[in-house]
Amino acid sequence: MEHTYQYAWVIPLLPLPVIMSMGFGLFLIPTATKNLRRIWAFPSILLLSIALIFSVHLSIQQINGSSIYQYLWSWTINNDFSLEFGYLIDPLTSIMLILITTVGILVLIYSDDYMSHDEGYLRFFVYISFFNTAMLGLVTSSNLIQIYFFWELVGMCSYLLIGFWFTRPIAASACQKAFVTNRVGDFGLLLGILGSLEFRDLFKIANNWIPNNGVNSLLTTLCAFLLFLGAVAKSAQFPLHVWLPDAMEGPTPISALIHAATMVAAGIFLLARLLPLFISLPLIMSTITLFLGATLALAQRDIKRSLAYSTMSQLGYMMLALGMGSYQAALFHLITHAYSKALLFLGSGSIIHSMEPLVGYSPDKSQNMVLMGGLRKYVPITRTTFLCGTLSLCGIPPLACFWSKDEILSNSWLYSPFFGIIASFTAGLTAFYMFRIYLLTFDGYLRVHFQNYSSTKEGSFSTPFGAKNTFVYPHETGNTMLFPLLILQLFTLFVGSIGIHFDNEIKGNGISELTILSKWLTPSINFFQESSNSSINSYEFITNAISSVSLAILGLFIAYIFYGSTYSFFQNLNFLNSLVKGNPKKNFLDEVKKKIYSWSYNRGYIDVFYTRVFILGIRRLAELTYFFDKGVIDGITNGVGLAGFCIGEEIKYVGGGRISSYLFFFLCYVSLFLFVFP
Amino acid sequence: MNYFPWLTIIVFLPISAGSLLFFLPHKGNKLIKWYTICICIFELLLTTYAFCYHFRLDDPLIQLAEDYKWINFFDFYWRLGIDGLSIGPILLTGFITTLATLAAWPVTRDSRLFHFLMLAMYSGQIGSFSSRDLLLFFIMWEFELIPVYLLLSMWGGKKRLYSATKFILYTAGGSVFLLIGVLGLGLYGSNEPTLNFETLANQSYPVALEIIFYIGFLIAFAVKSPIIPLHTWLPDTHGEAHYSTCMLLAGILLKMGAYGLVRINMELLPHAHSIFSPWLIIVGTMQIIYAASTSLGQRNLKKRIAYSSVSHMGFIIIGIGSITDTGLNGAILQIISHGFIGAALFFLAGTSYDRMRLVYLDEMGGMAVSIPKIFTMFSILSMASLALPGMSGFVAELIVFFGIITSQKYFLMPKILITFVMAIGMILTPIYSLSMSRQMFYGYKLFNAPSSYFFDSGPRELFVSISIFIPVIGIGIYPDLVLSLSGEKVETILYNYFYR
Repeated sequence: MEHTYQYAWVIPLLPLPVIMSMGFGLFLIPTATKNLRRIWAFPSILLLSIALIFSVHLSIQQINGSSIYQYLWSWTINNDFSLEFGYLIDPLTSIMLILITTVGILVLIYSDDYMSHDEGYLRFFVYISFFNTAMLGLVTSSNLIQIYFFWELVGMCSYLLIGFWFTRPIAASACQKAFVTNRVGDFGLLLGILGSLEFRDLFKIANNWIPNNGVNSLLTTLCAFLLFLGAVAKSAQFPLHVWLPDAMEGPTPISALIHAATMVAAGIFLLARLLPLFISLPLIMSTITLFLGATLALAQRDIKRSLAYSTMSQLGYMMLALGMGSYQAALFHLITHAYSKALLFLGSGSIIHSMEPLVGYSPDKSQNMVLMGGLRKYVPITRTTFLCGTLSLCGIPPLACFWSKDEILSNSWLYSPFFGIIASFTAGLTAFYMFRIYLLTFDGYLRVHFQNYSSTKEGSFSTPFGAKNTFVYPHETGNTMLFPLLILQLFTLFVGSIGIHFDNEIKGNGISELTILSKWLTPSINFFQESSNSSINSYEFITNAISSVSLAILGLFIAYIFYGSTYSFFQNLNFLNSLVKGNPKKNFLDEVKKKIYSWSYNRGYIDVFYTRVFILGIRRLAELTYFFDKGVIDGITNGVGLAGFCIGEEIKYVGGGRISSYLFFFLCYVSLFLFVFP
Repeated sequence: MNYFPWLTIIVFLPISAGSLLFFLPHKGNKLIKWYTICICIFELLLTTYAFCYHFRLDDPLIQLAEDYKWINFFDFYWRLGIDGLSIGPILLTGFITTLATLAAWPVTRDSRLFHFLMLAMYSGQIGSFSSRDLLLFFIMWEFELIPVYLLLSMWGGKKRLYSATKFILYTAGGSVFLLIGVLGLGLYGSNEPTLNFETLANQSYPVALEIIFYIGFLIAFAVKSPIIPLHTWLPDTHGEAHYSTCMLLAGILLKMGAYGLVRINMELLPHAHSIFSPWLIIVGTMQIIYAASTSLGQRNLKKRIAYSSVSHMGFIIIGIGSITDTGLNGAILQIISHGFIGAALFFLAGTSYDRMRLVYLDEMGGMAVSIPKIFTMFSILSMASLALPGMSGFVAELIVFFGIITSQKYFLMPKILITFVMAIGMILTPIYSLSMSRQMFYGYKLFNAPSSYFFDSGPRELFVSISIFIPVIGIGIYPDLVLSLSGEKVETILYNYFYR
C-alpha cells in the first residue's frame, strides 16, 4: 500500500483551503463571509475528518507492516547549502496524527457551539484550523529545520488564540508572555539545530543519531541540552512553565486542544524523536515539574488554571518516562492523558458556559470554583463525563490513565527509588487535587448566591440564603457540546486497552510484543531500547497496580475529607474561608497548611520572581540603553553639531568687519612674534 | 545582445518624466498623483520587462552593460550594468517606490514638488544600484540625498528641520569619506584614473593602503546602513518623516549602505575585508542586541520600528562578515526581505497614525476593534519582523545563521559565542514587536481622541499592504525566488577570497 504513504503529504495541507478562503474572505469581504458563519465550520470539520481517515489508514499499516517511510523535496538549493522539506511516517508520527485529528475534530465540533455567540467565531475557526495544519505539519516533518518551522507556527497560533479576546488586558499580556517564553525555548532549539549542523550531517533526523564519543562529546551534550530547552518551553516544564497557566485566558476549546492535548505534547514528541540523545537529561527537570505542578494545582481557585497545573505535572510524568528511557510508557501516557485532559477541559468549558449566565462573563467569576458547587444536579451529563476524566487522571483502574501512569510508576521504581517515591507521592497528590476540583465544582450546594462571600470581606456565612434576587440556575449545555464530551469519555474508557498486557496471550519471549501499542511501536522500540526491561509478569503488575491505586484512593479520600459535602459542609466552608482569608490560627498544623496554600495559590512565587528579575531587568536594560543612546551616542553627535555652530558664531563675531579690531589683532600678533623671536 | 540602452532609459525615465510635472496644468492634485503613479508603474514594468528578456540568471558577469565616455579629460565614463547582486535591489526599488507614491496619496501640500522629489529619488536609487563606475556611483549616491533632505524638511513632523539637518550632515559627513575612498582607489597606481569596477576588482594594493581605503568606505556605508554607533540619524529621521518617505528610507535607502558594503568593500578590497570581517561580525552582533534593547525603551512608535530596522541590519552585516556563500546569500536575502517588511511596518504605523494622531505608544490602546484590517496586517507583519517561519525574515536570518556557523574562517568557540548572542536577539525581537502591537491594538482603553470612531483601511491602503505582504510570504515559502538571482554572483565574489 505505497499509495497512502505517497499521498501522506496531503494530511497537513488538508485544512489549508478552508483557512485560505475563510481568511481572505474575512479580510476582504467581511460582511459576506460573516453571513455564512456556521456554514464555514462544516468544511473545516470535514477536511479534518478526511485527514483522520488518512491517518487511521496509515496507522493500521504501521501496526501491520510497520515500515518507516520518508519522502523529501528540496526547498532551496544553492551551491553550499540546501534545505529540504518532506515528510516522515513512522509509528510515532502515526500515533500523533491520530491524536491530533481526533481531538481536533471533537474540539471543532465543540467550539461550534461554544463560540457560536462570539463575534470572532470565524476568526476562531481560522486560527484553530491553522493550528491543526501546523501541528500536523510538525509531527510529519522529516528534519529538524522543518520541525522548527512548524514549531514556531504552532507557537504563533497559540499566541493568537490566547490573545483571542484581545480587549482583555490580561489576555493581551498572557499571549505575549506565552510567546516570549516559548521564544526562549525556540532560542535553545534553534541553537541546538545549528549546533548539530556544526559537527553532524544536518538533515538526518536523529533516529540514528547516537552521540559519538569523540572529541565533540561536550558539544553534543550542549546541543542536546539546547534542544531540550525547546522541549522544556513547549511542554511547560519547570523553569519555563509560567506561560501555561496564563494561557488559560484563551477560549476553553483552545485550552483543551492546544494547551492540554496537542501543542504541549510537541515537546514530548521532539524528545521522543531524538530519544537516544536525551537519555537521563530530562530527569531532574521533569521531577521538579511533576512535583511542582501538583503542588501548585492544590490551591488554585480558577478551574482552568488548576487543570493547567495538572497538565504541567502530567507532562512532567511523560518527560520522566522519556528520561528513564521507557519510550512506550511515555507515549502511552501522552495518548491517555491527551484524551482525559481534553475531556476535562471540554467539561470545564461546559461548566463555564453554564455558569456564565449566573455570574457574568468575566473569567474571574465564571471560572472561579469558589462560586461553583452543587452543579451535580444541574449539569448531570457534564458531571458524569467530568467525573470519568477525574478518575482517569487519578489513576483508578479501568480508566485510561491508570494503565499508563502505572507503567511509568513501576518503571520509575525500577529505575531509582528516589524517582519512584516522588512519582508515587505525586500520584497521590494528583488524586487529591483532581478530586478537589471535582468536589468543589459538583458537590455541595451552589455557592454563587453567597454574593457577599466573594465580594465583601466579611468572612462568615451568616446570611447564606438571604438573597432577594430570583435565583437563576445553571443549565446543561447543548447537544453539540455534549457530543464531543461523550465521545471523549468513550476514548477515556477504552483507550487504555491499547496498552494493556493481556495475560492469557503472554508466553515466553523476551520483548512483550502483545499490546497493540508495543506492536505499533515495534520498530522504534527496537531502535531505541536494546534491552527492554518491561518483561512484566502478572504478579508484579498486580502488586504495582495495587500500590498505585491505593495511593490514588488515599488521595481521593483526603480530598473528600477536606472538601466533601456530607462531611460537615459548614466546617469545610470555614476551612475554605480560612485559606482564602488567611485568618491567623493558633494551630501549628493550620499554620503549615496556610503556608502551603499561600505558596500554592501564589504559584510558588515563581511568577513574582520572574517579574522581579527578568521583566524589571529587561526594562532597566532598555532604559539604560535608551539613555546611553540618547545621551552618549546621540549626545556626541549633537555636541559636534553644537560645537560647529558655536565656532561658527565665534568666527562670525571675530570676522565682524571692524577695521579697528583687525588692527588690534594684527598688532597683538606682531608684538607676540617680536617677543617670542627676538 | 542588442544595444538598446535599457538601463539609461530606466535611470532617466522617472526624473525626466517627473520634471514634466511642473508643466502640467493646474488642475488639482489628482492629476499629479495619477501621473506619478502611472510613471512609477510604467517604470516598474519596463524594468521587469528588460530584466526578464535581457538578463540571464546563470551568467555572473555584468549584463545590459553600457559604456559612454562622458568627460573626456579624466576618463569619466557613463557606465551602467547590472548583475545578480544589483538586480534584486533595483526591483525592490521599483516596487517600494511605486507603493510609496500610492501611500503618499493623502499628501496635498505642494504635491507637485513632492511627487517630483519621489521620482527624482527613484532615479537616483536605481542609478546608484546600477552604476558600474566608481565616480558615477558616488554622484548617484549624493544625488539621491537631496530629495530625501527636501522631503524630510518640508513634509515632516514637528522637529523636521532638526532631523533633516542631522540627516544631511551625517550622510554628507559619510560621503566625504566615500569621496576620499573613491578618489584614492581611482588615482592609485597608474597615470590615468581607473574608475571602472571591473578593472578595480582585479587590482591589488599594499595592505596598509587597502585598510585605509576600506575604513573610508566602511564609514560611509556605516552611516547609511546604519552600523552602530553611527545610527542616531535614523530614528530621528524616521520619527519625523512622512510615512511614504519612511517607506523609501527603510525600504531602499538603508539597503544602499549594505549594497555598497558588498559591492565595494567586499568585491574591490578583499584582503582588507578578510581582515576586518571579524570586527564586522562583532559589531553586527552587538548591533542586534543593542538596537533591540534600545527599541524596547522607545515610547515613539516610529522610532521603535526604526530601531528594529537597525537591529535587523545587524544580520546583514554578520552575513557580509561571515565570508561564506551561505552567509552572503543570507545577507542579500535579508536586504530584500527587510526592504519589504520595514517598509510595510512604517506604512502601517503611518496609516494608524493618520487615524489616531498619537505618537507615543503608552497613550494608545484598544484600536483593534475599530480598525481590524490594519490590526491584522500589523500583527502579520510584526510576526514577519520577528522572523516567523513562512515569512521572508525567517529564511534570511536562518541562512545568515547557517553562514556564520559553517564559516571556515573562524574558530569554534567564537562562532558558538556569536551565534549565542545573535540568538538572544531572537528573544528580544518578539518582546519589542509584540509589545508594540499590544500597546497599540490590544486592550479596551479609549484615549482622548476627538472622535472614537475610525475608518478602517480603504482599498488603497489595503492594496499597498497586501502587495507588500505577498512577496514576504512568497520569499518565505520559496526563497529561491531571490536566491536564484544572486547565487551565481555571490559565488564569483567569494571566489576571490579562496583562490587568490
